[in-house]
Amino acid sequence: MEVFEVFRRAGHRDPFEHCGNVIAPDSDMALLLAKECFLRRQEGQHLWVVARSDIHSFSDESVLELAADKSYRFASAYRDVMHKRERAHDRVRELQVS
Amino acid sequence: MSRAFEAVVTALADDELILGHRHSEWTGYAPHIEEDVAFASIAQDEIGHASSYYSLIAGAGHDVDALALGRPADAYRNAVICERPNTDWAFTLARHWLYDHADDIRSQALEQTSEPKLRQLVTKIRREERYHLLHADYWMKRVAQGPVEARSRIASAMASAFAEAGGLFEPFELEQEALEEGWLPVASPVLRTRFLEWATSALDELGLPGATGREETAPSEFVASSSGDLIAGEGSLAKEPAVVAEGGGRRGRHTDDLRELWIAMTTQYRENEGATW
Amino acid sequence: MTYDERLASFTERIEAGDKVEAEDWMPDDFRKGVLKFIEMHANSEIMGALPERECLPAAPSLKRKMSLCAKIQDEVGHSQLLYRVAEDLGKSRDAMYQDLITAKSKFHNVFHYPVSHWGDVAIIGWLIDGAALVTQAALLDSSYAPYTRVLKRICSEEQLHLRHGEDITLEMSSGTEKQRAMFQEALDRWWLPIIHFFGPRTVVSKDLLLRWKVKTRTNEDLRQEFLDRYVPKITELGYTFPAPIPFEQDGHWLIKDEDIDWGPLDAIKRNEGPETARRLGARKDMYDSHRWVREALAEPSMRAA
Repeated sequence: MEVFEVFRRAGHRDPFEHCGNVIAPDSDMALLLAKECFLRRQEGQHLWVVARSDIHSFSDESVLELAADKSYRFASAYRDVMHKRERAHDRVRELQVS
Repeated sequence: MSRAFEAVVTALADDELILGHRHSEWTGYAPHIEEDVAFASIAQDEIGHASSYYSLIAGAGHDVDALALGRPADAYRNAVICERPNTDWAFTLARHWLYDHADDIRSQALEQTSEPKLRQLVTKIRREERYHLLHADYWMKRVAQGPVEARSRIASAMASAFAEAGGLFEPFELEQEALEEGWLPVASPVLRTRFLEWATSALDELGLPGATGREETAPSEFVASSSGDLIAGEGSLAKEPAVVAEGGGRRGRHTDDLRELWIAMTTQYRENEGATW
Repeated sequence: MTYDERLASFTERIEAGDKVEAEDWMPDDFRKGVLKFIEMHANSEIMGALPERECLPAAPSLKRKMSLCAKIQDEVGHSQLLYRVAEDLGKSRDAMYQDLITAKSKFHNVFHYPVSHWGDVAIIGWLIDGAALVTQAALLDSSYAPYTRVLKRICSEEQLHLRHGEDITLEMSSGTEKQRAMFQEALDRWWLPIIHFFGPRTVVSKDLLLRWKVKTRTNEDLRQEFLDRYVPKITELGYTFPAPIPFEQDGHWLIKDEDIDWGPLDAIKRNEGPETARRLGARKDMYDSHRWVREALAEPSMRAA
């Protein structure tokens, strides 16, 4: 017997999400069991099972942290667009006068 | 801030900037699409580290860009290995692996500095560098233990990269002052010995010939034999350890490769003095 | 079920707004059409990395050096997402890549043009990504579900690129006369290619992808949305347009079809644009000289060893 991790997806627009796990002898049985354990109220329209032994992760997950400043990867870094627009429009007027 | 502090931090920043610039040249061209994305992050990390180092020594106006892009080419203090063109993925990997391990040894020592701002920064940078080491180690292993052509290419690239890696531990300008002032914890020659010890055993473990003792770079010297083993071309073995050149980068002695990089990197900045972007 | 019955039920599903998954039955025309469309989108993302990549070494500040590198990285990431979706429709990434570098497949017209300075970065980031966002947002409701799922992420990253591009534009527009001249010069070069980007008017009756609801809006509809949104902003910044010059009418910014010179687009459709051969050549050289890397990656896992 093996642990299978269970993933379900509500609809076509959504990603699969982890929702639990089951113990089963193989993937066929895992599907049969997961359906009733996790989708019996129609919580999803799509179902995956993956053997836990086929799932891998970093032994030290702190490598996933952003250690240094990466603000330029986020839209919030460009929040002052209104102010910059006004400044650019001022510059245009200034050039038109001169 | 002492002159020695400024000199040492400039060299650290320049290494990161120039190597980050080279790494970023792969963006859009790396030999595997997923790797393109991963390597672009490493390039950004190095440029970000450069920016942080420069900010430690930037003047009251905090103009990091004037330091990064506004100096003449002979004012850069990066090690020569950083300015070499990417050439191909093999050289890029060899340099990435050597540099990030050298940087690990260097920053481990620097983490003991008595300068609080430098210490904080180095600790932060080291957290990000762990991914670089995992990435570099994985790739080296995969390529060095891979098919014959991969092994032969990485062996040649390693030979030429390794010959210049010692330049990363060429003493900094004003290093003696820095040691006397007490904030630079370990002298470069000591770190260089640590690096060589690490490299000798790491290359040996990978089955690469880099540390077995060769003098000059000649990428074609290692060829794959019919059995698939890498054999050295005749006469390439030397008695002395392989890291030779001191480089000169720490004293501002660079190659035409930096000149070319500098023109590409700084012209737009220099031609628009006072402009903001 | 006969083929006709399957086709009828498939058509019915599409008409009802249902979405198609890779593992579902689909007519060959649908599979081929969607594959070609997504393959071109993927090609465009990876080729779209190159013009900006050419501007990257000269980035005028470290902040922009990092943010532009991150932006190009996102575009490469988009190609990764899209090639994966296309692969699941039955063509390997390697086959797509080879078709790309040997000029057998296509990529968007705007990535066939040269760049010369930071003004190009502003135009690409703001207006070309702006144009791309208009077309891609229209695909979020596409009938091919795996495509819509990756587009969700792509569009949100394009939103960021748009802000980044506008930020660069506004800095340049508030700056020196030389900086403003750089933007205007770039706009003069890029305006016609941007208009071409939307393509000629859609012939609805002949457009299979529109009928299958893979695409949801016509070319002229998307172009109009772009013009209405961006022409006022560009005008307010004090810049002028080359042909085809937009004009205002009934609250819309229009251009006349007869003002558009389609000649350059025809050349690009034959993969004969100004930078096509050079950029594809550089990619091919890299591909050919790094076969050994692909071989090293194709070796079995090292974990057991």
